[in-house]
Amino acid sequence: MNAPDAPVNILQEKKNALVARFLEGAEPAFLEAHAAIIDDYFRDSFARSSVGPAMGMDKNPHAIIALGGYGRKEQCLYSDVDVLLLFKKRIPDQAQGLVQEIFYPLWDIGLDVSYSIRSLKECLSLASSDFEVLTALMDARFLCGISPLYSELMEHFRDKVLRRRGAAHVSWLVKKNRERHARFGDSTYLLEPNLKEGLGGLRDYHTMLWVARTAYDVNEPRDLEFQGHLSHDEFQSLMEALSFIRIVRNWLHHLTARKCDQLYFEYQIKLAKALNFKPVNGEQAVERFLGTLHGQMEFVKRQHLIFLDKALDRKGGFRKRKSQRRLIQPGIELVQGALYFESPEVILQKPHLLIKIFEQSAILGLPLGVETTRLVREFLYLVDEKFQSSTKVVKLFQRILAGPPQTFNVLNEMLNSGILVALIPEMKGIVNRIQYDEYHVYPVDKHCLRTVQTLKDFRDAEAATEDGFYGSVLKEIARPDLLLWAALLHDVGKGVNRPDHSIQGARIVRDIFARMGFDAEDIEMISFLVREHLLLMHTATRRDISDEKVVIQCARRFQDVERLKMLYLLTVADSKATGAKAWSDWTGTLLRALFFKVLRMLERGELATQAAADVVEKKKKDVLERALSFQRRELESLFDQMPPRYLLYTPVESILKHLELYEGLGQESFVLEAEAKPRSNYRTVTVCARDFPGLFSRLSGVFTLNNLDILSAEIYTWRNHIAVDVFKVKAPLDKLHEDEAWSRVKRDLRAALKGELDLKSALGEKLQAYRALQRRIPRRPDRIVMDNEASDFFTIVEVYSHDFPGLLFNVTDALFRCKLDIWIAKIGTKVDQVVDVFYMRDFDGQKIVDPQEIAAVEEAIKEAIESAPL
Amino acid sequence: MKKIEAIIKPFKLDDVKEGLTEVGVHGMTVSDVKGFGRQRGHTEIYRGAEYTVDFVPKLKLEIVVDSELVPQVVKVIEDKARTGQIGDGKIFVTPLDEVVRIRTGERGKEAI
Repeated sequence: MNAPDAPVNILQEKKNALVARFLEGAEPAFLEAHAAIIDDYFRDSFARSSVGPAMGMDKNPHAIIALGGYGRKEQCLYSDVDVLLLFKKRIPDQAQGLVQEIFYPLWDIGLDVSYSIRSLKECLSLASSDFEVLTALMDARFLCGISPLYSELMEHFRDKVLRRRGAAHVSWLVKKNRERHARFGDSTYLLEPNLKEGLGGLRDYHTMLWVARTAYDVNEPRDLEFQGHLSHDEFQSLMEALSFIRIVRNWLHHLTARKCDQLYFEYQIKLAKALNFKPVNGEQAVERFLGTLHGQMEFVKRQHLIFLDKALDRKGGFRKRKSQRRLIQPGIELVQGALYFESPEVILQKPHLLIKIFEQSAILGLPLGVETTRLVREFLYLVDEKFQSSTKVVKLFQRILAGPPQTFNVLNEMLNSGILVALIPEMKGIVNRIQYDEYHVYPVDKHCLRTVQTLKDFRDAEAATEDGFYGSVLKEIARPDLLLWAALLHDVGKGVNRPDHSIQGARIVRDIFARMGFDAEDIEMISFLVREHLLLMHTATRRDISDEKVVIQCARRFQDVERLKMLYLLTVADSKATGAKAWSDWTGTLLRALFFKVLRMLERGELATQAAADVVEKKKKDVLERALSFQRRELESLFDQMPPRYLLYTPVESILKHLELYEGLGQESFVLEAEAKPRSNYRTVTVCARDFPGLFSRLSGVFTLNNLDILSAEIYTWRNHIAVDVFKVKAPLDKLHEDEAWSRVKRDLRAALKGELDLKSALGEKLQAYRALQRRIPRRPDRIVMDNEASDFFTIVEVYSHDFPGLLFNVTDALFRCKLDIWIAKIGTKVDQVVDVFYMRDFDGQKIVDPQEIAAVEEAIKEAIESAPL
Repeated sequence: MKKIEAIIKPFKLDDVKEGLTEVGVHGMTVSDVKGFGRQRGHTEIYRGAEYTVDFVPKLKLEIVVDSELVPQVVKVIEDKARTGQIGDGKIFVTPLDEVVRIRTGERGKEAI
């Protein structure tokens, strides 16, 4: 083993102490300190080397030089140590011995050391041919040995290598950078960012430094400020951002016990705790941590993009610093393809330029110069309440919102420069707000901007695609501007720490647009969209959309088709902009099915209108007050069972009557009540029964069998499989013994329901007798209409025919034999013409759509009519 | 051990999950699936263009349980997922040879 005072033991000891201080939070400059103790190790072990002196320092000078991240003193816990052993002349044989002495002990303690041994000449020629080597040399730092050799290296490097290869190196860096961003730009990396390689990661900053070194001969990071490439504030903020990211990275190394730069889910909560983030106002600690991190990385990314944009032209060549200026609007000029203010003073004279310049950017598709964004930020204090509510400003804002989609997002620029929040202070609460789950990929503010962008992209989508469909709906909307406003602000309520963000949001947008001077009607529309932005998604995924009632309730929230279309598009854009987990073809199919159903419900009116809703509510109230034998809760659950048409069209008196019968049903298969109005020749017969296919045909058969002529009938099926059938029939012939007649009806019905009475043959005999009585009169032609358009839930069959005893039985029996279930029926007689309307589904609960099946049903009904006695 | 696969209507998930938790099932895999059985797809026509839905969106649950629990679990799914309408779905039960919990290497019943 080594002696206790061996350099490697000292290194280990110092490192342990350093890590301990870091974990206590007492070592803010860990990275530099870490680099420094490794520096100490190299100096110490180089001084003690036994091989070194034998190599002849004076004849062949040599030096140990730190490269890469170690050269920059950015030494995280598990960062690698990249070192160059440089010789002035050829490499002596003893060099290997030196490597053994100095580097091997580092490997033994688990340090990730890579070294290269090169002569000066080799080093320079390699740097000229290999950009990786060139990049590493950019951060070279002298450690020990002969320092003039280091100076010689750097001098040659600058004069020969950089001068000749600098420009090519820069375009190589830019290309690599673009590749890196493309690779780390997808949503996975937003949830689990890569602190080094990701967008806004440390590599972005390094690239800035390297480009600056070649382009502006910058030596130290500070020079970025001293030479005026960054303002003082920008430089300070950049350093703060970097320092935060580095601390996070170092902790991540510690937690994973390896060189890990990707912030995986499992470490995020631990890191938030380690960095002392606390939950505030319902926002979790980890959400605040990630929000801060996103903010800092966003800042680095933006500084990096602006810097490159300024330093390089579009092909990656250096920009000339002097260039032509051209005034394109009063106060705004175009320089090198980017927009600038004519001067800072002009902003003071015309504050609206602060937003005008973004409008120009959106319309012309030109980016803002770096100085522009800086000036916008500095003059934000000019944005006061008067500015926010100025008609001119609102108009310009509106044009930005509706502007064509650009490669760069102007709204994002507005967000980053702070002017978006200055204009709409209510958005402050959602900036960089993270929702900690696998579902919400983007912070809330970014998500809102993406929602706007997604909507705009629908405009140019190809016709035959899914997006093309949304595009065609979008084109029908009269006020796309209101939709875009709602998209921008639909989640603004998330800034308030309450669970009902849609309701909060609806309240907040009312204030915003009142301030901006919008019409009451427009405010109402935006507020509606914000309030209901989850309605369609929740209904589509959590409710039974094949249930008519669900669709009607949904439709009543809209009242008109325009609102539905707008909300539908907002829902789709919102989900698409949330992340891959929130949107899929699967969700899209469900949502579209609901959209079509609600759309048709609204287009047909009737059930979904406000008037219908009011009528139904009023009836429910009356029934609640008057049906005293029922508990309120019991009644409310019964209302749920009643079909919408029943509630809408049945008078309160009748509903009360039906409820009474329902109560009396008990374990019976049916209850029947015949009611006579005084002196009337008609009877109203109400039957409440357990529904099953064929019930209706048996009922009508029994009436006919008992000589009760059916004039009209209405049947409704409650969802709890209770049938309520109301018949209007001619009074029994023998009015003196009417009670007996009704007893017979009940007896026959009981037998028919049990299957003990064969109605078909019983009626056959009966109808023979009628034939003789039948008058021969000219008939209007029979007509059968099958309609699948009018309802999404039923096939509607209308039968027009001349009346004859037993007709209803014949028709309903035919339908039963076709395996069709009658849900609603309206039977009416006008002189001798019968109009029967049936709402039907097959025994599986589906509409009848197969053409062959439709033909078969028509044929069966026709046959039933034609079997009439003539 | 058995594997129970159930195809259910999407909006029934919460009911089924709740029911299963009550009988002591604490793990399941849920996926978005599409298909058709007796419930057919349909075609929507909007402004003259056709939008065909060949496959109906459903959810697939996969649950692995000890054989004794099977009747109970099947009953719960059956009861909770039923609407009485077409497309309520199906339940499949298949024998299962082995289960391994990757983290611990436990096998068989313990790994469920």
